[in-house]
Amino acid sequence: MRSAVVIFAIASGLVGGLFSSAWMNGMAIQRVENTFSLETAHIQFHNPQFSENQDVRRTIGSTEDKLKDLLKIDGVRAVTSRLKTQAMAATANKNMGVTLVGVDPISEKEVFGLYKKIDTSSGDFFETKRKNSIVISKALAKELKVKLKSKIVLTFQDYNGEITGAAFKVIGIFKTDNSTWDKMHVFVKNADLRKVLELPEGQSHEIDILVDDYLQASVISSQLQEKYPDILSEDWSKIQPYISFLTDYMDIMMGVFMIIILGALGFGIVNTMLMVILERTRELGMLMAIGMNKKRVFIMIMLETIFLAFVGAFVGELISMLLIKYYGINGIDISSMAEGLESVGYSAITYPFLEPFRYLQITVMVLITGILASVYPAIKAIKLNPAESIRTV
Amino acid sequence: MSVIKIKDLRKTYNETEVPVHAVNGIDLEFEKGEFAAIVGPSGCGKTTLMNMIGGLEEPTSGDVIVNGIDISKLSSKELIDFRLENIGFVFQAYNLIPVLKAKENVEFIMQLQKWDKRKMDERTISLLRSVGLGDKINSRPNQMSGGEQQRVAVARALASKPQFVLADEPTANLDSHATTQLLDIMKELNEEENITFIFATHDQRVMDKARRVITIDDGKVVSDVVKVNI
Repeated sequence: MRSAVVIFAIASGLVGGLFSSAWMNGMAIQRVENTFSLETAHIQFHNPQFSENQDVRRTIGSTEDKLKDLLKIDGVRAVTSRLKTQAMAATANKNMGVTLVGVDPISEKEVFGLYKKIDTSSGDFFETKRKNSIVISKALAKELKVKLKSKIVLTFQDYNGEITGAAFKVIGIFKTDNSTWDKMHVFVKNADLRKVLELPEGQSHEIDILVDDYLQASVISSQLQEKYPDILSEDWSKIQPYISFLTDYMDIMMGVFMIIILGALGFGIVNTMLMVILERTRELGMLMAIGMNKKRVFIMIMLETIFLAFVGAFVGELISMLLIKYYGINGIDISSMAEGLESVGYSAITYPFLEPFRYLQITVMVLITGILASVYPAIKAIKLNPAESIRTV
Repeated sequence: MSVIKIKDLRKTYNETEVPVHAVNGIDLEFEKGEFAAIVGPSGCGKTTLMNMIGGLEEPTSGDVIVNGIDISKLSSKELIDFRLENIGFVFQAYNLIPVLKAKENVEFIMQLQKWDKRKMDERTISLLRSVGLGDKINSRPNQMSGGEQQRVAVARALASKPQFVLADEPTANLDSHATTQLLDIMKELNEEENITFIFATHDQRVMDKARRVITIDDGKVVSDVVKVNI
């Protein structure tokens, strides 16, 4: 009974710790993946002066040649180019400042996943050859009071410095988990924007690169910087330092979390084993009286403690695995907090996830905790006086 | 030949404050195969004397010599090893390990001594049969009566073929039938294996069975009677 209570306590602590960690980890992973998929890709090229004021004249030359060359590089999975400018979006109801992004509908889908954020009842992502079509967010549509097939007038500065504009018809409405980002971005075809901007052929404002392993992005970016010294190559950690901080922060947080959980676990084990020593004082006294030496008594108490910790860890990890697997597929819906979460780029439905090596890590940490927690009770046991202990009631 | 020699043995508690002389200068010798009882009122020092003979307590002064070895001079580690090889214990409260079966409780000491498994099995079964528990080999303590548990304890005490067995009030928790049964078995084993048995007891039935009765009072031997023709 006592062993069952200890095992239950260890298992519960681990389930709480592992599931919470998996939940936080899942949220962070989703945020990071969304950033890559919707906002930054893994590496971006810009004209070195473009970042200062988003001047449309600060372009990348020979874009098509660069795109072909990039696809031949090891580790590069997909590339696309974009035009970008700041614009004013206007309807009869309202004006709003936006970032106007011109995309190549085909290669854009290989790098970015925005097209997946348009549901079937909300149009499409440039599936037709219609000219001057635009894809906007649900949040922006609500602000501007527009819907599918509505017209939006975009006003901006062209390549020659003249104020120009065009009317675009809404053909797709998307919604991501980042409502702030959604309101700020609108998408049109490269060809349509190039014509209005009067931008020469072969020029673009941004090249976006997807690599096979995002952890290698900084290495590849450095290599590309050397290859193309006249452009600015940045990996995602430089474009969105917050995301880099988030991944590092999550690792530290999970570590701290587990140390706290294991610390509590350790104290719980020490407390329980001290009770065990107290209850078994007579038995331990008898064992030492009949000839069980202190080394054996010490090892016996340690092994009992480690065994309990191990069984508790196994049960806890098994339950955690099942829970994480279940919610990893079905998600945890916290829609009541959707507005707040989406304003900072987090989804209201999160999918807990824990890397497999974490379970091994936890097992090792529990083993170490069990060993450390067993030392004090074992020392108490070997200090018992056999003659007095035998007479304990 | 003496198995145990006790020379001017003393044990004083609270030496610096109010000293209590639990054992106050005892000289005794026990021969091989003796069946002796140490008797006396509560607090007379018989348990303290037994503990010092068994190496469970260190004397304040004096010697306890077992087979030529002065155990009062041994370190605690040496004492534990000495007890394992030379002394068997039977306690008032049986003190069997509750999660082990009768067979496993008896085997425990032989495992500590690293006996060969086959020889260990043979001796265990033989001992349990000797104490009349051949049918309880696989029973746990909670499946046995008090008398049966104490008989398992006797089998355990004899398992390692000790020089002598110390039994501290072994019949205190038993009814008269169980007491008689236990004492008959211990007497039989004493005669068969020629192992010295020393009892600390209040029980008249133990005194009646014993061939030698040593009476202690205030930490001193007041009488030492060897019965003839018992």
